[in-house]
Amino acid sequence: MAWVSSKYAFRSVGRNLRRTALSVLGIGIGCTLALVTESINRGRDELFARMGAYSGAGHLRVVPAGWRLRRDPRLRLAEGKRDLEAARSLPGVAAVTVRARAQVLLAMGTHVVPLEMVGVDPENEPRTYRFVQNLERGRYLAPGERGAAVVGRAVAERLRADLDDDILATAVGKDGDIEAALFRIVGIVATGSEDLDASICQVTLDDMEALTGLPSVAEVAVILEDWRETESTRALLAPRVARGDEVLTWGEIAPEFQGHMEQDKAASRFIGFLIIVIVLLGVASAQLAAVLERRREFAVLSALGMQAGHMVRLVLQEGLTLGFFGGALGFALGAPLVWHLASAGLDFREYMGSSYSFQGVVLEPILYGDFGVWMIPYVLLIAVGATLAASLYPAWFAARTDPAVALRVAQ
Amino acid sequence: MSGSRLFRAFALGASMAAFSPTAESVQKPPDVESILAHLDDLYRSKSSTSRMEIQVVGRRTTRTLRLKAWSRGEEEVLVVIEEPAREAGTATLRVGDNLWNYLPRIARTIRVPPAMMLGSWMGTDFTNDDLVKESSLHKDFVSRVERRSEDPKGWWLTLDVKPDVVGRWAKIEFLVSDDWLPIEERHFDRKGRLARTMRFDEVKTLGGRRLPARLVLTPTDAEGQSTELRYLEIAFDVPIADDTFSLSRLEQTR
Amino acid sequence: MVAGSTLRIAWRNLWRNRRRTSLAVAAIGLSVALVLAYYALLRAYADWILETLTGPMLGHVQVHAPEWRKDRAMDRTIRDVSSLLDGLRRDPDVASASPRIYAPALAALAEEGFAVVIMGVDWEAESHPIRLLSGVDVPRSPGRVLMGRALAEMMGVREGDEIALVGQGADGSLANDLVQVQGLIQTPVDFVNRQGILLEIGEAQTLFAMPDEAHEVVVHARDPEGVKLLASRLAALPNLAGTEVLDWQALAPEMVSLIEIIEVAGVFALVLIFIAASAGVANTMLMATFERTHELGMLLALGAAPSRIVRMILAESIALGFTGAALGGTLGILFVAVTHETGLDFAALTGGGPTQLSFAGLSWSMRFYPSLAPSDVGRTILAVLLTSLIASIWPALRAARLEPARALRE
Repeated sequence: MAWVSSKYAFRSVGRNLRRTALSVLGIGIGCTLALVTESINRGRDELFARMGAYSGAGHLRVVPAGWRLRRDPRLRLAEGKRDLEAARSLPGVAAVTVRARAQVLLAMGTHVVPLEMVGVDPENEPRTYRFVQNLERGRYLAPGERGAAVVGRAVAERLRADLDDDILATAVGKDGDIEAALFRIVGIVATGSEDLDASICQVTLDDMEALTGLPSVAEVAVILEDWRETESTRALLAPRVARGDEVLTWGEIAPEFQGHMEQDKAASRFIGFLIIVIVLLGVASAQLAAVLERRREFAVLSALGMQAGHMVRLVLQEGLTLGFFGGALGFALGAPLVWHLASAGLDFREYMGSSYSFQGVVLEPILYGDFGVWMIPYVLLIAVGATLAASLYPAWFAARTDPAVALRVAQ
Repeated sequence: MSGSRLFRAFALGASMAAFSPTAESVQKPPDVESILAHLDDLYRSKSSTSRMEIQVVGRRTTRTLRLKAWSRGEEEVLVVIEEPAREAGTATLRVGDNLWNYLPRIARTIRVPPAMMLGSWMGTDFTNDDLVKESSLHKDFVSRVERRSEDPKGWWLTLDVKPDVVGRWAKIEFLVSDDWLPIEERHFDRKGRLARTMRFDEVKTLGGRRLPARLVLTPTDAEGQSTELRYLEIAFDVPIADDTFSLSRLEQTR
Repeated sequence: MVAGSTLRIAWRNLWRNRRRTSLAVAAIGLSVALVLAYYALLRAYADWILETLTGPMLGHVQVHAPEWRKDRAMDRTIRDVSSLLDGLRRDPDVASASPRIYAPALAALAEEGFAVVIMGVDWEAESHPIRLLSGVDVPRSPGRVLMGRALAEMMGVREGDEIALVGQGADGSLANDLVQVQGLIQTPVDFVNRQGILLEIGEAQTLFAMPDEAHEVVVHARDPEGVKLLASRLAALPNLAGTEVLDWQALAPEMVSLIEIIEVAGVFALVLIFIAASAGVANTMLMATFERTHELGMLLALGAAPSRIVRMILAESIALGFTGAALGGTLGILFVAVTHETGLDFAALTGGGPTQLSFAGLSWSMRFYPSLAPSDVGRTILAVLLTSLIASIWPALRAARLEPARALRE
């Protein structure tokens, strides 16, 4: 009688269009919501990875041996050029840059500011370190420029210096002697955080090398197109760098961001779970309501000789059909929404309090939802899975209908 | 502390003393170029020993130290604190690019990492640049006589830094007395603002030379702070035992 | 409009059809309960973020001498810090106030000196939960220090080693001493782990010639929400005249943005969950009421007025809604009541994931303490009630307007 039950299932679905429509709509909306939520959840991961990478860590960084423990700015790569080439030749790379650092004392007259000065490649640096995009005044360094520096606003203030002023930088040179150089302030950066501002001073790599006498570069920073490829790309890069140099991921360089991402992942997993539970509940109760109201119908079927097992199959098949269409509807409604989320993103700035300073902050609070192939199996799973699970009790309930009792009771 | 910067200040005075002014030359503006050239030659003493007093006037407290110092060339300096009693015996040894502190209270010698040498010296207003860098007035600055001063009597010289020179000061204004001793030195930062002033007085004969024994350094922006250095005794070009500038000697300086 | 008798009839009607009613009540109740649970967790998350970001290092309010934050000069101190602390502790909203000293110095195991920051701290205060040294075994005798683990690794120092400390006192004098490293610590604050040597504050005051002085006073408030007000109130205290009093938002604006982003993301999720719940309830009510068209047609055929039908449905829905809301509300509040004190282990809740995390230089432990505000409960119940009402009225109206014959046929 199997095919009878499926024929019946189909027909009954078709017969009561309103009920069907209602069910499908209910499942559809639930699926849409679940889809949007999951897209946003995945987007949150991307947000925190972006935070870490663009605040200077990069997704991957090639560092000298021993840097992981000591973080001594005087350490230099064994073979900077080779490491740079290796990084550039990687697949899926969005930007690559090199840097060298030194502990210096900046001075203007009697005012001093100690900080870690960074020698950069002006062409590529802004693409990997977003703070230097926030130039409050002046301009950024030009490629090959000598004698110029970009400093954070707090640095300028503490030195009582301004644009176009010359500041003195003193550092410990290669052989332990004291070296000095003059730099003209060409740009002033404001990040919104005074501590951050007080730590920013960038010059070109050539100037850094001239000042410290230490050759080559201290790090190669890589930004990937897809942050999720970090580990796999690291595996590609590690064997290609010079011996002694190490490849670290942003999670190892800025464990704070990775930590937050993981914690947030846990939180969003919970939210996703909650949404699914709610969808399930909604679908289940709707299905149950439908089944309850159709007791007479089931009673008649039972009286006509349909066995319990078939009745269960009937309800389940109805559920499956509904689930399938509901999922399709959910996808149809959800996909454009998720597409919009992925391209335009959710701009949180409008919803944040007046204390939020646009200039500053660690990242741009725009969440880009995730759009991908994962969406299809995800919707299918929820639609069909939820509906099936939701139809179990109703199915069992329908099968248990005692025809005599059901037919007797007034609806 | 190598003292070369300070010695240069005194040497300026010494070189001035070498050009005993005659009645006529007092009114004529001095030949600055030759003075500075002479200065640069004279500021090096092959070796020296000295005792000095340093008084640091801070925001809240005033601290006075009495020190004994030995120096040889530009690379070797030993400074030992004599007073206050609490810190007596504390010593600093500089040999080349290495700096050590000896602390008698805990009987330990500690090497100071180079990065920490960049800032101010011993909490005074002197920076390491002052004491270590070899800036040359003659080579690094273009000098001229600015004007005559009547009270006190002397000449104001203006020294403008040459374009390629790396240093904190864009301009130095120098007041020298008629008997060729420094009275006041004003340092202007790279924006042309007066950053600090050095005043010289208490002219005496020390180590066979006539020079100001007291030097007061006052930063401009600094809420009444100043550092005063007063020489009690100096001996120039004296022989100094070889092992003076050694760690073992450092620890014996009690 | 709905007379008492109508309500009574409605109530009876409801319980005549036990299954349908139970289903509807369950649907509404569970939806309310789940939304409330999420609300409570959202609040817990927000509180937790705030506490773990501000607890260890920042505190809620900080007091400094003016200009100290700019150059961290040793001599820019807060004077008479003990009477200042007394004044602070007398304020009812202050949970705790403790002093700190920050002294850049040299530390050496043998001859090699390393640049460190010596922090003078109040052992007891910093050991409170979610503070810098919570869970750490603090020294009980003088002359002992705690050292950041990364710093110790770099210096080659092990527990029990004796190290020399050299720094500058607030009066410019040379501060130096030999101390024993009692323990190596991994605190929630990265800078402490990499550069910090912790000393008891009284000993630090002696070492650095700072009698009854400190560089910073950290204040924790009883109510984290009222921090701004507290800060301005404390700033007006006579003991604090001449000092700089700042709330944590002013000290770390980047934290503010971060927390806001997290909160906004949470609210977004809340909205989605709300919609999901409402959709579920609506679906249920629509389905249930549509299926009753036959029954309603019967009533119409028997001569009931359409308005009477609508009124009956309305009454039933209201009764249903209230019952469901009451059930859900109770469940939700129960959940919060049970977990509020003991907290939830987040890892267990989400099935794995870290129990200790590092973020922004801090390490967090993941226990959440759910809480609910009355407005949360009110809002949720109202929304769900309205949804169920609207979702049942429409089919009822439709049925009431039908010709009885048609209705009977459905």
